[in-house]
Amino acid sequence: MSSRSLNKKFDKILAREEAGELSSNSGSRALKKLLNNRLALVGLILFSIIIFTAVFAPLFTSADPMKINLRNLSQPPSADHWFGTDKTGRDVFARVLYGGRVSILVGLGSGIIAAIIGVLVGAYTGYKGGWLDVIALRVSELFMSFPQIILVLLLVSIIGQSLINLMIIFVLTGWGGMYRMARARMLSLREEEYVQALQSFGLSTATICYKHILPNALGPIMVNITLSTAAFILAEAGLSFLGLGVPASIPTWGNILNVAQEIRVLQNFWWMWLPVGATISLFVLSVNFIGDGLRDATDPSQQG
Amino acid sequence: MLTYVIRRILILIPMLLTISFLVYTALELTPGDAVSALINPEVASRLSDAQFAELREAYGLNKPFIVRYGIWLSNVMQGNFGHSLAGGVPISTIFLDRLPATLELSLVALLFSTVLGCILGTYSALKRGSITDSSLTVVGMIGVSIPEFFFGLVALLIFALNLGWLPVGGRLLPGYETIWDRVPHIIMPAMVLSLMMTAGVMRYARSSMLDALTREFITTARSKGLPEWRINLLHGFRVALTPVIVLIGFRLPLLIGGSVIIEQVFQWPGIGNEFIGAVRGSDYPLVMMIALFSVFAVLMASLIIDVLTALIDPRVRLS
Repeated sequence: MSSRSLNKKFDKILAREEAGELSSNSGSRALKKLLNNRLALVGLILFSIIIFTAVFAPLFTSADPMKINLRNLSQPPSADHWFGTDKTGRDVFARVLYGGRVSILVGLGSGIIAAIIGVLVGAYTGYKGGWLDVIALRVSELFMSFPQIILVLLLVSIIGQSLINLMIIFVLTGWGGMYRMARARMLSLREEEYVQALQSFGLSTATICYKHILPNALGPIMVNITLSTAAFILAEAGLSFLGLGVPASIPTWGNILNVAQEIRVLQNFWWMWLPVGATISLFVLSVNFIGDGLRDATDPSQQG
Repeated sequence: MLTYVIRRILILIPMLLTISFLVYTALELTPGDAVSALINPEVASRLSDAQFAELREAYGLNKPFIVRYGIWLSNVMQGNFGHSLAGGVPISTIFLDRLPATLELSLVALLFSTVLGCILGTYSALKRGSITDSSLTVVGMIGVSIPEFFFGLVALLIFALNLGWLPVGGRLLPGYETIWDRVPHIIMPAMVLSLMMTAGVMRYARSSMLDALTREFITTARSKGLPEWRINLLHGFRVALTPVIVLIGFRLPLLIGGSVIIEQVFQWPGIGNEFIGAVRGSDYPLVMMIALFSVFAVLMASLIIDVLTALIDPRVRLS
């Protein structure tokens, strides 16, 4: 019997046993647990509302976030402009909605890409071991020996400011945490008996590691994605607030907050910065609630 | 113990060398002449081309890359960090000027957040499952979700602009030197920074305390009939403290990083403020040296933590 047909047969059994019954069961149990967690539920609702209003922004406001209106400068909130207008007469509510698109894209996008890279590298080198593992570990140590914000700012000063650059920088500075976690999980999982069984069937390293071991580490990976998304959204806000993040022409949550550096704006025009700041806080809070709920639902050792 | 410390230091050296090498490579690749990074730009502007070429030779800038790196590294180790492009101030002078302010702010924040975080976390663990416990957990999560600079702005608006209790920013007014003149300035940035950090410490202290309370020596202490507060504080908390110390050690470098934005919000004249200015002005020598310094601080902090944990727990230094 060729190893391929054996492989197939084995996969089929495995697929039926693990994915078919066991994992769908535990999946729904995890979901049920997540939904039972009141905070996670609040988080999910908040998260959905903010994502929905940002994605379908034109449904909620007819104002153009970029349109300057010189006859309508610095107006307080009114029926026409829910969050008032900024110093150049742009509708702040529209800017918050459209800005959310970019901020969430940067946060979630970098979080997911960093996770994919970290997990791919960590799972493979952790499973394989040897010199590849040593190199990956050293490189990650290199990145992690910088305080995060210092490394981010250093890279900003070297490669310059743009939306794509910012995401590249976040991925570069963020993959290390995920890599370490995936590697640590791999080191303990590769000693399991079912892995030895798979090896004796002659399955390739990549198949064993990505298809058979990785799903067992999915819980912590999801938790980690939520945490890094939250961190990146905060980082984008901070950097753009300093004027060193996304270029000022693109509305993002951080760029809207940028005006609050001026004491006059801070004191007199609260609507220009307070609602945005609150939106960022609520969104990050919702992500953290979801992450916490996910942790409780997927990791039994963390309960209590 | 000594061999352990020496071994730890030996591990650090290749790391520092690699990072300094990367920093130097970045310095060479960034725009700006290497000579202008080494000497005072004021002087450089008055030099003729021939003198410039002479200087290049004198500084070894015509030598191969690896030799240039060696020269630069020995300069750095002697405390000659080069000059800032803006104003031509020696970078070492900037460090001496700005570091005390950052350390002052960071240490106050570290101290306050540690004490508050430990108290709240321990209390939370002892009252596990109570309303206080769950509300503290939620408050902690809210704490890590608010952007620190936004929290700072709100504090600024309330306490400085509306109530007028505290100054808007800065560290010292000229002519006011006593400690009592300093206190009002540091209160807000330090409080904002430490409240943001308290959430993490609290969470960690809580789980560490919960863990300690399930150990057998707690049962032993209880069976000896010790009063509950003695069990909790003298036996439980002491053991729970070790991982918390480790966490605090890891926060030391985070403080250099964490205070960057807060320093900007409150115009605190520290190293973080300087760093942002340097990034904005593309002052590469200064950016690189501050980054290098912060890495140095991180690695030193991790060394100190390792040595401390080895002192507390003999199993570590034997492994």
